[in-house]
Amino acid sequence: MASHSPGTDQIDTLLWIGTVAAAILIVALVGALLFVVRRYRGERGAEPRQLRSGRRLQFRVAGVLTIFAALLFVLGVVFTEKAREQPSTGDAGLASLKGEPLKIKATGQQWLWRYDYPNGAFSYYKLVVPEDTAIELEVVSTDVVHTWNVEELARKADAVPGKTNEVLFIADEPGVYDGDSATLSGQAYAAMRTEVDVVSPKEYEEFVEKQGEEIDAAEERVVGLIENGETP
Amino acid sequence: MSPSPRPELVADGYSAGRPRWVQLATSADHKEIGQVLLTGALGFLFIALVELVLMRIQLLVPENTFLSPVAFNRMLSLYGASAIFFFALPLVFGLFYYVAPLQIGARGTALPRLGQVGLALWVAGATVLYATFLFTPSEAGVNPLAPLNEVAFLSNNGVDAWATATGLATLGFVLLSVNLVATLRTMRAPGMAWRRVPLFAWATAVGSWLMVVVGSVLLAALTMLMIDRHYDGIFFADGSGGAPLLWQHLSWIFYTGAYMLILIFAFGAIAEIAATFSRKPLFNRNVVMACLAAIAVIGTLAWMQNMLTAPIGIGWMYFAMLMSLALIVPFGLVLFNLIATLAGGTLRMRAPLLFAIGAIFAIGIGLASELCHSLVAAAWHLKNTTDSTAATHFALIGGAVFGGFAALHYWFPKMTGRTMGETLAKISFWTILAGLLLGFVPLFFAGAEQGQVVDAYKYFAGSGVTAYNVIASIGVFVLFAGVLLTILNAVFSRANGPAAGHDPWAGDTLEWFTLSPPEPHNFDVLPDVRSPRPLRDIRIAIGNRTRRSEQAAARESQPVA
Repeated sequence: MASHSPGTDQIDTLLWIGTVAAAILIVALVGALLFVVRRYRGERGAEPRQLRSGRRLQFRVAGVLTIFAALLFVLGVVFTEKAREQPSTGDAGLASLKGEPLKIKATGQQWLWRYDYPNGAFSYYKLVVPEDTAIELEVVSTDVVHTWNVEELARKADAVPGKTNEVLFIADEPGVYDGDSATLSGQAYAAMRTEVDVVSPKEYEEFVEKQGEEIDAAEERVVGLIENGETP
Repeated sequence: MSPSPRPELVADGYSAGRPRWVQLATSADHKEIGQVLLTGALGFLFIALVELVLMRIQLLVPENTFLSPVAFNRMLSLYGASAIFFFALPLVFGLFYYVAPLQIGARGTALPRLGQVGLALWVAGATVLYATFLFTPSEAGVNPLAPLNEVAFLSNNGVDAWATATGLATLGFVLLSVNLVATLRTMRAPGMAWRRVPLFAWATAVGSWLMVVVGSVLLAALTMLMIDRHYDGIFFADGSGGAPLLWQHLSWIFYTGAYMLILIFAFGAIAEIAATFSRKPLFNRNVVMACLAAIAVIGTLAWMQNMLTAPIGIGWMYFAMLMSLALIVPFGLVLFNLIATLAGGTLRMRAPLLFAIGAIFAIGIGLASELCHSLVAAAWHLKNTTDSTAATHFALIGGAVFGGFAALHYWFPKMTGRTMGETLAKISFWTILAGLLLGFVPLFFAGAEQGQVVDAYKYFAGSGVTAYNVIASIGVFVLFAGVLLTILNAVFSRANGPAAGHDPWAGDTLEWFTLSPPEPHNFDVLPDVRSPRPLRDIRIAIGNRTRRSEQAAARESQPVA
């Protein structure tokens, strides 16, 4: 799946490193197994040499495995740290932030994602963010554990009640990115999807403003109805 | 009334004609308990696979409506509990319990009644789990994460029944483990120092210790869950001092430990089979023994590998990665030494060896794939995708199905006096292998490439995973057929298989010294144990004596002068 954020680029690189490492191990194992099975298939009764141990061989194998594991650990830390780096807003991004990331709250609830923007506006299902702008998503939950998962843009993050999980990302080009939830959260879990619309900063500002006005208007209408004794 | 003409020896109260089921239900004998566990495990393997097949039918086409979301979640929960608590672990403990005392030359176990209670608790757990069909099975998944498992979100009795069932079964395993630890500590035959203990008995000791530790952790977590659900507890509830993540820590410690336990069991069995069927001693015995113990400790310490997307500190994530990657060394050494044991041998490709090689293959692929899940940033992509389903299934089907079937074919003659049908075993092996590859390799791609999420009752047509899921479903059907063949093979061979004698494979360890099936007291006499291969020592001694007497006879028959 195509990556559209520097963080997911690093994730993809580490994924490749892991896949190659796994492939090396699998090829070595399967190769050795096939060789041994074909070469030493023997007749009943023949007595093979009773080899018990090879101490130096053992140290060598252990040494190679240790170096392999240590190398993977170092690569794992390096690329994880790179993936965690705070991205900085670029020239095409939202200028009004002055270098600060755009903070948006993502709330998982059975079975919808809600997004709260800095100006008080909110949206359900669809998250709208400006392109080339550092986003700090605070992933929280109001009920059970959910996992926010838009894999082209950012890492997976669990929304755990009572905890905040921070996700940093920056989208490199406008578009619509599909996402879903990755932890079983009850009956409608599979239908709990989301979508991130990456738009230009101008369109983003228009969106949150319009969204905020509409929410205010709706609230006023409901408050007005209640004050008049009607049911909204 | 005349007095008895002469004194008689009377075994008072002994009745020979007890029905078999009464005998099994009341026995504290380790062989009978082991057999009940093993039979039960094979039954639940069948049931678990039926549940898996139902889920795979639902996932055959996009947005299928074969199962409702609730029905799917129930199947998922039942499948998880059945596969782990009522198939894999009882299979492991059934074989531990049957074989290990025989291998160390014990005439029984140290605390037989404890094992009997353990079996009864496990049966009670299984009954509770499947009695839920009378009301409502759990809908909370394989590991029901808090707070979904709390009464606020799932108020019916499903989670209660799940917790009761798994709790009873786990308590049973812990009691069986305590008995095994005590037996292995105190009842080894004269001369059997720890360094001469057969590898499978060593795996039993390591695995039992592990279960005592991680089983207790799960029991604590389940107790806390029940207090939460019924007595206004707040252990796992957010807001009033509880922490949902606490459940994840406690439950993952158990699940990770159980995962390691299944692999330790498989390696123990494979080590015995590799040595016997290549007619060589296990290569670097001491290293393999040390590695199995290391796997138990380091592997369990890697439990947070399951929580790499949770809001925990990055330091903990690196700790989990360090432990997971450190496992490469002991796992690698065990696999290397198992293959080195086969190398240079004269391999007899009978069913046990075939399944053992299949186990090494599948476990190797599963563990290598898990490696990607331990690299923190890679896990941020792979976590909870079908890639993790595939990796776990490769490792655990490798350990419990291939490894378990290898052990079953190997020790079946000891348990019943008959060998399992060889042709059927080979057909079954290749069918299971084809099913495993077809059923789970596509899930690697669906998960890693397309990010298909786990546990979901449907997927959508445009998401690029339809072909993968169709192949995976067909693969699981094939897998089911293959497993069914072995179960049928076991059922038919029990009464009709070719008679095996006491030592059909020319084994080197003490269980092959006694009758098949063994008498209730296991051994009339025991040989002196002077090496890890006492039966081989006997064969060599007999061979030497025969040779000497033949030479003497030859000398005597030579003409004088």
